[in-house]
Amino acid sequence: MPALLRVERLSKRFGGLRAVQDVSFEVQEGEILALIGPNGAGKTTTFHLITGFHRADSGRVLFGDSDLVGLRPSAVCLKGVCRTFQVARPFGDMTVLENVMTGAFSRRPRRAAAASRAREVLGLVGLEGKIDVLARDLTTIDQRRLEVARALSTDPRLVLLDETMAGLNQAEADVAVALVRRLREEGLTVVIVEHVMRAIMAIADRIVVLDHGQKIAEGLPREVVDDPEVVRAYLGSSYRHAS
Amino acid sequence: MTRLDLRAPSVYVPMLLLVLALVAPVAVPNAFFRSVLIEAAIFALLGVGWNILGGYAGQLSLGHAAYFGMGAYTSTLLLVYGGVATIYGMWVGAVMAMLLSIPIGLASFRLRGPYFAIASIATAETLRLLALKFREFTFGALGTTIPLTPNAPLNFLFADKLGLYYTAVTLVLVAVAATAWIERNKLGFYLVAVGQDEDAAEAVGVRSPWVKQQANFVSAFVSALAGTLYVQYTYFIQPDTVFGLAISTEAVLVAIVGGVGTLWGPVIGALLLQPIAAVAQAQLGSTYAGAQLIVYSVILLVVILARPSGVVGVLSPVYWRALSILPGAAIDRRRRVAPASEVSRASAA
Repeated sequence: MPALLRVERLSKRFGGLRAVQDVSFEVQEGEILALIGPNGAGKTTTFHLITGFHRADSGRVLFGDSDLVGLRPSAVCLKGVCRTFQVARPFGDMTVLENVMTGAFSRRPRRAAAASRAREVLGLVGLEGKIDVLARDLTTIDQRRLEVARALSTDPRLVLLDETMAGLNQAEADVAVALVRRLREEGLTVVIVEHVMRAIMAIADRIVVLDHGQKIAEGLPREVVDDPEVVRAYLGSSYRHAS
Repeated sequence: MTRLDLRAPSVYVPMLLLVLALVAPVAVPNAFFRSVLIEAAIFALLGVGWNILGGYAGQLSLGHAAYFGMGAYTSTLLLVYGGVATIYGMWVGAVMAMLLSIPIGLASFRLRGPYFAIASIATAETLRLLALKFREFTFGALGTTIPLTPNAPLNFLFADKLGLYYTAVTLVLVAVAATAWIERNKLGFYLVAVGQDEDAAEAVGVRSPWVKQQANFVSAFVSALAGTLYVQYTYFIQPDTVFGLAISTEAVLVAIVGGVGTLWGPVIGALLLQPIAAVAQAQLGSTYAGAQLIVYSVILLVVILARPSGVVGVLSPVYWRALSILPGAAIDRRRRVAPASEVSRASAA
C-alpha cells in the first residue's frame, strides 16, 4: 500500500544552523507515528516544513500524489493536512464555538453547516459544555483541546499534533491518549510530536527519532527505546530502568 | 426567519432610535445642529468602511484618505467635466477606489503590524501629491467648487441639506447592514481570525492575503462613498482636505472611540466626536487658535485610556439591560435575542 505521507530528504537551514538535514520518513494511512527527540532536534521545524510555514531548502513532501513544498499553509490544510501549534493559539476574542466554526468553514461555506460540524468536534474533545466561553478565558488545557478541535473541524486526513500533552498531569494525559486513539478510530492518520514517553509508548505504532536535525532511528516503539543511539541522544540510560 | 414582533423591545427600540435619527434635524431646525448631524453621518460612513479592514480584519490603516479622496475626486471630476450626476458618479468613485485597493493590497498585505500602517500613510500621501501635481486635470492646490445649482437632488444638492442628511443616513444603514451580514458569515469569521492570529488562521485553511483583500475591497468602496458625500456637503474639493492625514485620522478615531471591530462602534464614535469637535471649534476656535484641537485631544485621550474597548463596551451592557426591563421583554427572552456574551455577563453580575 502506498504511504499517505512521504517525506523525502527534507532539509532546512537557518543561517549557519542546519535545523533539518536530509530527513525522510513515511506515514501509512491510519497509522499513529510519533516524532521524538531532544529540544532543538528539528521536530517542530519538520512540522513547519510539512505544513508550509517554512519553505524547505530541498526535499519533497508527498501527500498522496501532490508535493506540498511551496504551498501556503492554508493550501496544505485544504489538501487535508492540518496541524496544531506547540503553544495553543486560539482566536482569543472569539468564543469556543466560533473558533471551531472558523476551521469548519474551510469545507462548509454555510454558517449552519459549519456550526453543526463545530459542535460535533467539540463533543469529541470534550468541550461541549464551554461553547460560549471566550477562548482567552479557557484554561491552558482547554485551549489545547480547542486547538485540536479547530484542526479537526477542517476534516483533515492527516493531523500533526505538536506537543499536545506537555504539562498535563497523568490523568489528563490519559484523556489525551484516549482522544488520539479515538481520532484513529475516526479514520484519521496522526503524526505526533511529544516528550511524554509514557503516552508515546501507549499510542504510537512507530517512532521516528530526530537529533540535531537528523533522523537517528526509526522503528517500533520497543525497538526504538532499546536503541543505544537513541538512549545516548535522548532518553538517557535511566529510562530503561525506569520503565 | 423570525417574524418581526413590534411588541418586543429588541424590535421597537431600534425603530424608535431610527425615527429619532430621521426626525431630529426636522424637530430642531437649527443650521449648526443640522451640519453637525450631517458631518457625523458622513464620518460614521467612513468609520464603518474603515472598520471592516482596520477593525474586523485588524489591519491598522492610517491611510483611508486614499479611498475617501478617490471617491471624492472621481465623482467631482465626473460632474465638473462630464456633467455626470453625483448619484451615478459616487458609484464610479467607489469602484475606482476598489480598483485602487488592488495595488495597495498587493504592495502592503505582505507587511504586518506597524509596517502596514506606515505603508498605508504613504499611499494616501502619494495620491495627495499626485493630485497636487496634475493640476490641469485636478485643479491642484487651488481646488475647485462643484457647480452650484439651487436644487439638484441627483447631485445631492438640496435647498436645505436635509436631503443630503437622509442620503448619508441611508448609506450608513446599508453599510452597517452589510457589515452585519459579513460578521455573521464565513468572511466575517475569517476577517476576525486573520486579525487575531494570521498563522493560526492559515493553519485552518484561511487564505489570509485574499481575505484581507476582500476586506480592503469593501472598505475602499464604503469609504469612497463617504468621500463623495463630503464634497457634496462642503461644495469644495482640494487635495489637502480629501487626501489629507486629518481624514485618515478621523476614520480611525471614530472607530476606536466607538469600538473597534464592533458593528455600531464607528457610528457611535462619530455621533460622539463630531458634536464635540464642532462645539469646541465654534466656542474656542475664534478665541484661541488651536484651542479646540487641545480640547478634542484631551477628550480622546480620556476615552482611550478609560475604555480601550471603546464606548460600545460601556453602552452595550446598558442597552441590553434596558431591553430586558422594557415592556415586552418576555418576548425577547423567549426568543433569546440577546447575544450569548451579554447573557453570561448579566448572569455573572
